[in-house]
Amino acid sequence: MYSFIAKRLAIAVPTLLILIIFSFILMFAAPGGPFGGERPPPAAVLANIEARYGLDQPYIVQMFSYVKNVVFHFDFGPSFQYRDRTVNDVIAQGFPVTLTYGAWSALVAVVVGVSLGVAAAIRQNTWLDYLAVGITIGAQALPNFVMAPMLVLLFTLGLGWLPGGGWSGGLLIDACDAGDRLCFNNPFGGAVRFDYLILPVIALSTSYMASIARITRSSMLEVMNSNFIRTAMAKGLPMRRVIFRHALKPALLPVISYLGPAVVGMITGSVVVDVAFSTGGIGQFFVNSAFSRDYAVIMGITILVGALTILFNLLVDVLYAWIDPKIRY
Amino acid sequence: MTFKTKLLASTAALLIATGGAVLADGHATHPDTGVALASDQSFTYSVLDDFPSIDPALVEDVEGASVARDLFEGLMTEDATGTVQPGVATGFEVSEDGLTYTFTLRENAKWSNGDPVVAGDFVYGLQRAANPETASEYAWYLEVMGVENAAAVTAGEMPLDALGISAPDDFTVVYKIDAPRPYFPQMTTFPTTFPQHRATIEAHGDEWTRAENMVSNGAYVLSDYVPAEKLVRSRNAMYWDNDNTIIEEITALIINDSNQALTRYLAGEIDVVMDVPAGQFPRLNTEYPGEALSLPSSCTYYYQFNQSDSGPEALKDVRVRQALSLAVNRDIITDNVLAGGQRPSWTLTHWAIAGWEQPEIAAASMTQDERNAMAVELMAEAGYGDDNPLTVEIVYNTSDSHQSVAVAVGQMWKQTLGVDVTLANQEWATFLDTRGEQNYEVARSGWCADYNEPSTYTDLLTSGSAYNDGKYIDADIDALAQEAKFAEDAMPLYREMEQIASDNAYFLPIYHYASVRMIAPDMENWPTENLLQNWYSKDLYISASE
Repeated sequence: MYSFIAKRLAIAVPTLLILIIFSFILMFAAPGGPFGGERPPPAAVLANIEARYGLDQPYIVQMFSYVKNVVFHFDFGPSFQYRDRTVNDVIAQGFPVTLTYGAWSALVAVVVGVSLGVAAAIRQNTWLDYLAVGITIGAQALPNFVMAPMLVLLFTLGLGWLPGGGWSGGLLIDACDAGDRLCFNNPFGGAVRFDYLILPVIALSTSYMASIARITRSSMLEVMNSNFIRTAMAKGLPMRRVIFRHALKPALLPVISYLGPAVVGMITGSVVVDVAFSTGGIGQFFVNSAFSRDYAVIMGITILVGALTILFNLLVDVLYAWIDPKIRY
Repeated sequence: MTFKTKLLASTAALLIATGGAVLADGHATHPDTGVALASDQSFTYSVLDDFPSIDPALVEDVEGASVARDLFEGLMTEDATGTVQPGVATGFEVSEDGLTYTFTLRENAKWSNGDPVVAGDFVYGLQRAANPETASEYAWYLEVMGVENAAAVTAGEMPLDALGISAPDDFTVVYKIDAPRPYFPQMTTFPTTFPQHRATIEAHGDEWTRAENMVSNGAYVLSDYVPAEKLVRSRNAMYWDNDNTIIEEITALIINDSNQALTRYLAGEIDVVMDVPAGQFPRLNTEYPGEALSLPSSCTYYYQFNQSDSGPEALKDVRVRQALSLAVNRDIITDNVLAGGQRPSWTLTHWAIAGWEQPEIAAASMTQDERNAMAVELMAEAGYGDDNPLTVEIVYNTSDSHQSVAVAVGQMWKQTLGVDVTLANQEWATFLDTRGEQNYEVARSGWCADYNEPSTYTDLLTSGSAYNDGKYIDADIDALAQEAKFAEDAMPLYREMEQIASDNAYFLPIYHYASVRMIAPDMENWPTENLLQNWYSKDLYISASE
């Protein structure tokens, strides 16, 4: 097992390097550049800027010095678009935000999705099943760029319960302001506030929740019809024990392989959620940095997402071995 | 936190000490208008994109410039109509040849850390903007100002002290420029010229613009900046005119989606929305009268014809270009397609530019039927018709509103002239390459004024302009531009340049921009007549609601 993990981590390094090289090639192949915009400055000014960011060097030199800085100094360079910030600043500021609402979304998606899926499977072809299937189809059909503004219209403009956007420090803050809803002072210091979190979590988790519910339902149905469950039932074990002790673990295997990339997707945020709720998260930079040709931010985020994907896929494989005794590495 | 509290306390103490606030029924009143002031003098506004930089030497966008104008103060500043007012300088003198400007600074101007603002800070600021090491994209502004040796210093060919700015003593700043520019004092209200605090910048490097490091000389200081989320500025107790400043705190929220910003305005979370989708103006104007404002914004929307070697033969024929221009019904585009208070345009120069009078352009006073008839005739003369239809491709950067305009223009050309039009949209950076390398036939363009004088537009008409992507050459326009530089009254020359450009249809002006804002009813003094859309929080206030 340990040698398996070590091997996988060793493969991660060349994988990331290939990712970097491909991203570099794609980036430089795209027309246009990060500076100038509609009114390109005089050539001398442009030359100064390019010299400052090393863009006057040959591509191969740029790539090598980039990799060197990342590997030896963990320095992702200065942002081209935001002149007063480095990529490390951009990620350090935005990633905790998406990590917060992403982790909560993952939790909500798993808990609600698995419960719905299991309930639908063991009450197959009853009203509960139809309801669960209806909800999940609806949730999957409704894209989050439609749902986000609808949530704001309902909860902010209509009911006035939740703020329409912003982050204001997020979940853990120093103290609640007077009149803050859903904010709880911690007797041991600090405070927890949920009001800015709820709408982004709903918008982000819904479609993941639906997928998880549907995967759980079909895999649960399959497991419930298998021989060892029939045996368990025949032995007269109570239903609850059959489900939680015997059926759930194997039924969750497909859910776990789905969760690897899905959790990465959630904790690195979504451009739709970031834009719709102005959270200041890192999701919006996926798109913005590409449009503004902010090479350094594009690379920084690509590496972040790449590394997280490798990590979570490894985690999934380890979980597999733990759950399924048939799998041995 | 403690710093902020201290600051608020000291501000309050100052207000009480000077007796600047008159309390009546628990409300202070505005010293000039006598309007009762709200007890909470803070407001929130939304901007569409995060600020690329708030360093005055690097600022490159409209919203970043607004932040810089609150945090810093230049030699001159503006009132609500855009008229030049004393800033850190109490006034200036111009030499007889118009090439030397001598500004006298007030002695009570201070930085937020208490240091006096001296002439050397202005010299340092300008030199830093020009310095090749700073690599400011806006270094070109110094060339537009005509500051002596600006181009050479930026190119690294001359030392920094060769730049045409000097400080003979602590309270005198002398600018030397290369040609007379009556509008020069107005250019000193631009952030690139603002003073900068050398000790702070040298101590903190690129991180000097962080809230905890920044030292500024404007009416406000930076108190919080969470990138991609919000920027907060609060009162600078050291500001020389602090007693007459009313707004306490300003929060800029970065909201990438203008519809979302509008919803949050309606929910009462925001007081001013900067970029309302233009198409929503008619509806908002009916539903929220007095809150939706359409203000002239000094930009012009036009199409360029590729007249370079790579361009199609047809567009090198003036009759074809004229016909294409005439056949565009600008009224339909401004009134029906955009409907946000834009105005039809026949010149590049924006109608609201100070002192501008449009030249006599025949087409402008015709009816659209007359224009269409003339266009059909010109097209036939040029040899295009049903048996030999012209084909043209319009390329524009991806955006709903550019697409609507292109669809409308294409339809007008098709219906009136039988032209086969194809539309192509490209992502922004790709589009700029396409246009800049003349890989197009007709391309969408826009230009915004840098200062309130026609040459900010007419400079583009010259053959040598870097923004002449149509690559036409007209010796008469170039000669007039040269003459205008030194002319006593350049206005007739500017008009003649526009006239020539229009006669030859070198490009196709479509409309003059307007920008639509939502402004809460209790927000007072928001400038509606500043063509460059500049606003200063120190001139605003919030009235008490009844």
